[in-house]
Amino acid sequence: MQWSVKFWQRETTKSENLPRPIQAKNPAHLFLAAILIVFTVTLYEQVIAWISLLVVCAVVIRSAIFFAYQKHLPSMRTLNLLAILSTLGLLYSAWSLGFLLGMINLLVLACALKLMQMRSQRDFYQLIVSTLFLLGCGFIFNQSISMTIVYSVLTLMIIVALGFFHAPSLSLGQQTRQLGLLSLQALPIGLLLFLLLPQLPPLWQTPRAKTAESGLAEKITPGDIARLSQSSALAFRATFADGSPNHASRYWRTIVMEDFDGRSWQVHPVRKQQRLLFQSMQQEFNPVLSGPYRDYDIIAEATQQSWLPALDLATPLGAKSQSEIWQSNDFQLISLQPLVSKYQYSVRSFIAAMPYQVLSQFDRELNLSVPKTGNPRTQTWIQDLRTLYPQDTVFTQALLDYFAGQGFSYTLRPSAMFIDPVDTFLFDTRAGFCSHFASALAYSLRLAGIPARLVTGYQGGELSTKVNQADYISVYQYDAHAWVEAWFAETGWRRFDPTALVAPDRINFGLRQAMQEEGSFLADSPFSLARLTNIAVFNQLRLWLADVDYNWSRWVLGFDRQKQQDLFKAIVGKLTPQRLALLGLGIVSIIALLLLLFFLPHWLAGRVSGPQRFYLDALHALSKVGFSRPPWQGPQDFNDTVAQQFSAEIKQPFAQLTALYLHSYYAKTSSAEKETSQTERVTRQMKQHLRKLKRGLRQVKP
Amino acid sequence: MQMLQQSFHRWLDKRIPAADNFALNHKTIFIFPAKFGWLYLALCTLLFLLGTNYQNNLMLLLCYFLLAVFLVSLMASYSNFAKLTVSIGKIHQVYVNDDVQIPLWLNAKQNSSTFSAAMHGRISAQFMGLSSGIDVDCDQLTNPVALPLPCKKRGWHALPRLTLSSLYPLGLFRCWTHLAFHSRVLVYPLPLVNNLSPQHRQAAGHDAQHAHKHSHDPSLQHDFSHLKAYQTGESLRHVAWKQVAKGRGMVSKQFTGQQQQVTWLELDTTVELELAISRLCFQVLELSRFNHVFGFVLGSYVLDPDSGESHRLNCLQALASYPNIAMVAN
Repeated sequence: MQWSVKFWQRETTKSENLPRPIQAKNPAHLFLAAILIVFTVTLYEQVIAWISLLVVCAVVIRSAIFFAYQKHLPSMRTLNLLAILSTLGLLYSAWSLGFLLGMINLLVLACALKLMQMRSQRDFYQLIVSTLFLLGCGFIFNQSISMTIVYSVLTLMIIVALGFFHAPSLSLGQQTRQLGLLSLQALPIGLLLFLLLPQLPPLWQTPRAKTAESGLAEKITPGDIARLSQSSALAFRATFADGSPNHASRYWRTIVMEDFDGRSWQVHPVRKQQRLLFQSMQQEFNPVLSGPYRDYDIIAEATQQSWLPALDLATPLGAKSQSEIWQSNDFQLISLQPLVSKYQYSVRSFIAAMPYQVLSQFDRELNLSVPKTGNPRTQTWIQDLRTLYPQDTVFTQALLDYFAGQGFSYTLRPSAMFIDPVDTFLFDTRAGFCSHFASALAYSLRLAGIPARLVTGYQGGELSTKVNQADYISVYQYDAHAWVEAWFAETGWRRFDPTALVAPDRINFGLRQAMQEEGSFLADSPFSLARLTNIAVFNQLRLWLADVDYNWSRWVLGFDRQKQQDLFKAIVGKLTPQRLALLGLGIVSIIALLLLLFFLPHWLAGRVSGPQRFYLDALHALSKVGFSRPPWQGPQDFNDTVAQQFSAEIKQPFAQLTALYLHSYYAKTSSAEKETSQTERVTRQMKQHLRKLKRGLRQVKP
Repeated sequence: MQMLQQSFHRWLDKRIPAADNFALNHKTIFIFPAKFGWLYLALCTLLFLLGTNYQNNLMLLLCYFLLAVFLVSLMASYSNFAKLTVSIGKIHQVYVNDDVQIPLWLNAKQNSSTFSAAMHGRISAQFMGLSSGIDVDCDQLTNPVALPLPCKKRGWHALPRLTLSSLYPLGLFRCWTHLAFHSRVLVYPLPLVNNLSPQHRQAAGHDAQHAHKHSHDPSLQHDFSHLKAYQTGESLRHVAWKQVAKGRGMVSKQFTGQQQQVTWLELDTTVELELAISRLCFQVLELSRFNHVFGFVLGSYVLDPDSGESHRLNCLQALASYPNIAMVAN
C-alpha cells in the first residue's frame, strides 16, 4: 500500500539534531559582509594585509551568492584547508605583533572564514557575536568621534541584520523603523547604566598593542637633517580649573636626556636600569615639595610610550593617577602602561620647587659625563672661557651672551651637521632650531663642570577660554621643544632656554609667529587647518572642532571613577552607604519605569474600555455561577436565555446592561459633545446595574 | 524523569487548560533567553571585562547599550508574540501511518489595537513531543497553515499540545507556548489487502458468490420494489431521474433482490487483532467502492446491511475505535 511506504521512508530520513539550515538569500548576510569590510577598513593599520584580502574574498563570495551569480558555497573541505593554512600563516606573520594584535587578526580571520562558511543558524549567531566583539575591540584603537559614529552605525547594522534573520520578509524600511525604535529605547537605559554603574579599576594586566610610537623621540640628534615634527596632530590637552600659566612659562617637561655621545642626546641607560630596579622594589622617588602649586588635568593622546608631559616639578594627584604614574628620579612622570589610547591624569605642579631638590653624587656624575673626543673647537673655547669666568653663574651668563650676541638665527631648515656637530653649529652655521641650541648649551656647561642635561617636551600651546567651560590648553606636535636644565649649588636645578634668546617669538607666541618670515611652519602639509589660521572661517572651524574633541575626550572618554563620584555627590549629596543603596534602587526603578513606559501602548491596546468592559464583567460574573455565553450566541439571545433561567434580581439588571451595551455599540450619535456626555451617563448606569447584578448573584451562589 | 514530566503536564493542564481558540497572553506565554541570548550575555560580560581592563569607556558604553538592547528586546519579544491568536480548523480523518494535516488558523493582527498592529517574524510550530515542525513567516501568512501530525495508532486521539515559538526580534529571547485544543483526530486502521475470507462467505450464505458476480449492477437481476431518499455514495444509476425531473427531489430505486445478496463482514478471530482489523478495514473500503450492500459486525456492535458514504464512515469509525465503540457510536 502506498501510504505505508511513504510513512516509513519519512521515518528513516528524519534527523533530529542537525543544525537548522538557513536561507542563502537573506539580506542579513549582505549586512554582515558590509559590516566586516567596513570594520577591516577602519583597522587598516592593525589588520595584516593578506587577512584583509581574505575578508574581501569572503565578502565577494557572500555577495555573489546573495545576488545569485553563484549558487554554491565553497565546500567544507576547501574551507577547512583554507582555515588550517591561514592559521599557520597567521602564526607566522603575527608572531611579532604581540598578543593583542594577534588576537584581533585571528578574530578578523575567523569572521572572514565564518562568513564564507555560514550555513546554519548557529554559524550565523557565532558570526554576529564575534563581529560585535570585534567592534568592541575596535574601540581600543579608535576613539575619535567620527570613528565612534562609524562603529555605532555598524552596531545598528548588526541589530538590523539580526532583525532580517528573524523576519526575512520585512522590508528594509520596516526593519529600520522597528529596530531603530528598539535601539532608541535601549539608548537611555544604556546611558543610565554607563553613568551609574560603578567604574572599576582594571582587574588585571592586559596585553597592549605594539604599534609605531609617535610623539617625542627618546633620542635626538640635532646634527641630522631636520626631521622636526612638522605635524599638526594634537599631543595633549590640559585643563586648568583656576587660571592657566602664561605662554612663556608653559614648559611641558616630558623626557629628560642625560646621555650625550657627542652627536645625540638620549635617556641615560643607567637611569632606565635604576628606574626598573626601583620599580621592582616599589621605591618611588619623593621630591621635596614646597611652595605654590597649580592643579590641572591632562588628556594625552596615544603615543605608545610611557612619558607624560607636565609643568615644572609635577606629582600625580588623586588615587587613580598616583597608582598609575611613576615619579622618576629626574622628576619625570612615567605611566606604568604605555599610552595605547587617550589617557587622562591629574597632576599638581610645584612652580618653584626645583631649587630645593638635592643632587646626589650619582646624578652629578651622570650630568657631567662628556665624551672625551670630538668637538675640539668647543672644548678649547670652553676651557678658555672657564679660565676667564671661574664663577659658575657668571660663566653661564657669558655663554648665554654668546648665543644672544653672535648672530645666531632660529630656523626650521638647518643644514646638516655630520662631523663635530656642536663645533659646526657654534662656529660655522650658527643657525638651527631648539635642539641645536639646547644641545650646544648643555654640552658646554658639562665641559665647564656644571651638571646639565637636555629636557625635551613641549613649549606653549593654544589657550581656549570660554564662559561655561574651564580653560584648556591644546598642545600640538609642532609645539615640541628642547631646553636645558643646569644645577648650581646656590639655586639648584635651573631652566635655561637658549632658543628664547635667539627667537623670543617662539617662546612668547609660538612656532607659527616665530616662523612667519621663513614660511616653514607646517610646510609639508599645506592643507592642514592649523596652517590656514589667517582665513577666519577655517580658523573658526578648527577651533570648533578642537572644542568638540576636547569635550569628547574630557567627558566621554575621560569619564572615570572620580567624575562618577562627583556625579553621585551632585545627585545624593554626601556619599553614605544608605544613600548609595537608595541611588542603586532608584536606578533600577527608573529603568523598570522606562521599560514600562515603552510598552504601555501595547498593554493599553489589549484592554477594552467603557461599556464593553462592564458587559464583559457581567458575563464573567455570570460564568462564575456556571452560566456562560456560548460563542455562537449573540448578546440579545443570551439575554433571553438568562431571562428564562434567573430570577428578577438577576435578569433585570442584566437586561439593562445588555440594552445599554448594545445601544452604546450600535446606536449612532450626532455630535461629539453629545457623545461624551452620553458615554458618561451610560457608564454610570452600567456601573449601577453591574453592582445590582453582582448582589443578585451573590444570593444565588450558596 | 517520568514523574517530573507527568507533574509538568499536570501543571500545564492547570495553567493552560484546553480551549478552542487562544489569544496569547501572560498566562499562556513563556519567555526565556534563547541559546543565542546566553551567548550574547557572555559577550556583554567579556566586553565589560575588556572595557574595564583597558579603562575604555566606549567599550563599556557598547557593553551597556547591548545590555539595554537585551532588556528592551525582552519586552519587544513578548509584546510581539502576544499579538497572536490561534485556533484549529476542521480536522480530516486519516489512516494509520499517514500524516494528518492539522489546519492552524493563525491571526497575527491585533484587532483593537491602533499601535504596531501586526505581528512580525517567523513562528515555528510543532506538536509537543515531536521533533519536526514547520516554520511560518508571519509577514507572509496564508491561513490555514497545515501542520502534519504522524498517526501511528488507530482510534480517537486528543491532539498533543501545540508548541508555538518565536525568536523575533533579535533571537535573544524565545517566546513560546504549549496550547491544548479540544479537537480530536480520528485515525482509521491501516487497510491491508486480502480476499474475502471463508467466514464472510459463510455469513453471507450462498448469495456471496452470486452477489460478487453481479455486484456491479444489481438492478439488472432484480425487480424494482420501492423508492427511497437518495443517500450520498449510492450509485447514480439507481437514481429515479424521472422523479428528479418532476421536482420530487433525489430519490433512488430499491430492488427486491438486493436484500438477499447481503454480505456480512466480521472480525477474523483466528489472527491477531490488529491484522484482522486492518483486513476488515480493507474489506469495508473495497465493498464500499463497488457500492455493495453489507452488514457489519464488530463484537457487540452491529450495523444493519446498508451501503453508501455514511455507512462506510460508521464502519470505519467503529473499526478505528474498537473495542471502545459504544463511546463514539452515535
